[in-house]
Amino acid sequence: MRLFWELSKLSFARQLNYRAATLAGLVTNLFFGLLRAAVLEALYGSREEVVGISLQAAITYTGVTQALIAFTMIFGWYEVMDSVYSGEVASDLLKPMNYFTFWLARDVGRAVATFLLRGLTIMAAYALIFPIIVPQGAEQWLALVVALILALLVSFAWRFLVNLAAFWTPNALGIGRFAFILSWFLSGFLMPLRFFPDWFQAICSLTPFPQVVNTVVEVYLGLLTGADLLRALGVQLLWAIGLILASQLVLRAGVRRLVILGG
Amino acid sequence: MAKHLRLYLRLIGVQLRGQLQYRTAFLMDALATAVLTMVGFGSLAMIFQRFENLGGWSLGEVAFLFGMVEFSFGTMDMLFSGFDPQHFGQQVRRGSLDQLLLRPLPITLQVLGSKFVLRRVGRIVQGALILLLGILASDVGWSVGKLLYLPIVLMSLVSFFGGLFVLGATLTFWTVESVEVTNIFTYGGSEMMSYPMHIYDEWIRRFFTFVIPAIFLNYYPALYFLDKPDPFDLPPSTSFLAPLVGFGTLVLALKVWDVGLRHYQSTGS
Repeated sequence: MRLFWELSKLSFARQLNYRAATLAGLVTNLFFGLLRAAVLEALYGSREEVVGISLQAAITYTGVTQALIAFTMIFGWYEVMDSVYSGEVASDLLKPMNYFTFWLARDVGRAVATFLLRGLTIMAAYALIFPIIVPQGAEQWLALVVALILALLVSFAWRFLVNLAAFWTPNALGIGRFAFILSWFLSGFLMPLRFFPDWFQAICSLTPFPQVVNTVVEVYLGLLTGADLLRALGVQLLWAIGLILASQLVLRAGVRRLVILGG
Repeated sequence: MAKHLRLYLRLIGVQLRGQLQYRTAFLMDALATAVLTMVGFGSLAMIFQRFENLGGWSLGEVAFLFGMVEFSFGTMDMLFSGFDPQHFGQQVRRGSLDQLLLRPLPITLQVLGSKFVLRRVGRIVQGALILLLGILASDVGWSVGKLLYLPIVLMSLVSFFGGLFVLGATLTFWTVESVEVTNIFTYGGSEMMSYPMHIYDEWIRRFFTFVIPAIFLNYYPALYFLDKPDPFDLPPSTSFLAPLVGFGTLVLALKVWDVGLRHYQSTGS
């Protein structure tokens, strides 16, 4: 546990040093947010509400999703892959710590730093530009924190799994690109899932991806309450556990197959 | 001129052979780029039934605009990858530009030939399909003028985006660091141009009219093809400024590029 904490702290501190990159990322995220808000506003036209989502909620949605990009790394993450191809993986596997936990610790540090630097800043900028929705009451805030933690776990386990492809093939980048595009298409990142036809929503719900984005957004907007809210968090938890178990199994198989190149 | 063309084809040919060596990886990559384009438009298409229009435009009309921009951006991204600010910035940092400068050949031609990303074919095909869909769904009243003008507009868009890449690359002569904010103008600009421009706030639209003249390349030509009224009441001839603005941007960008080259100091690495 102490090791986990130290690794997280280091990765947190490292993230704070990328000032120029953070600023560039912020400006880009905000720009795309404004663009997406304009598209939604044009779609709404004179309507006030579509499938229970008000225009105000739809605009807030674009802000929350843009704020989640850096936190959940939904556009892609190839660090484990890189370390396999550079040969670093050899020394990392020798460390007295589970390989999954080792990377998770670093990812938690990174995620907390980007959440503070980028996530909160984007929401603050949104609050200045638009009359956005803000969660109400201790219960909803608590639910939001839980949803964020679970979203990070699901996202990390998925990203880790995708990266493990590098244990099998020397060219896993294409697989990775494909996997990440798929994950943001089905996560509710592009448009709120409630807008989509039922059959598409059904497909999405068979995958873990809505747990990373859509659930967080719905909790934030207060679209889920009471039993629905608890059920949504429960489903998130189940996906997190399932994916973590799966990544342990795949990791075990992968380590037996691994061929170390370079180094 | 013929010599230069042969040289360019030679440079490109080497890369094509290289990229096609790893057939599966290439196909995966091309497919991923295609899916990326499809996913963006597909999401919009799937939710469109819940709404009637996008700022007064039908799905077919938006598809026309979207396809035009995607097709052109994809083509540019394949041809001008050598100038991709991120890639080029790296060349400057590593000093590999010096290597090109030492060769007795035009430097612009070498940079243009230094990278050719065939997997962008995925995006180009996808963009063409969306454009075709838009043409079929929004029944464009075709005339000889429109038939002749469409390829001109597409080429103008390619030149315009190419100009933006060249400008972004030029900037790295001074900054050395790759300037990620240029992504807003290139990738952000193309994304923004995929939707009718009247939906944006006035300051954004002004910026993309007067600072970066994007509106003359996508929105105004589209108004002409789709026979839509102009909400800003500019003269109808505005729809025909695309070639002037598109090729003009590229020519101007190459001029600035020349200035940048003269200013270039190697990083020494």
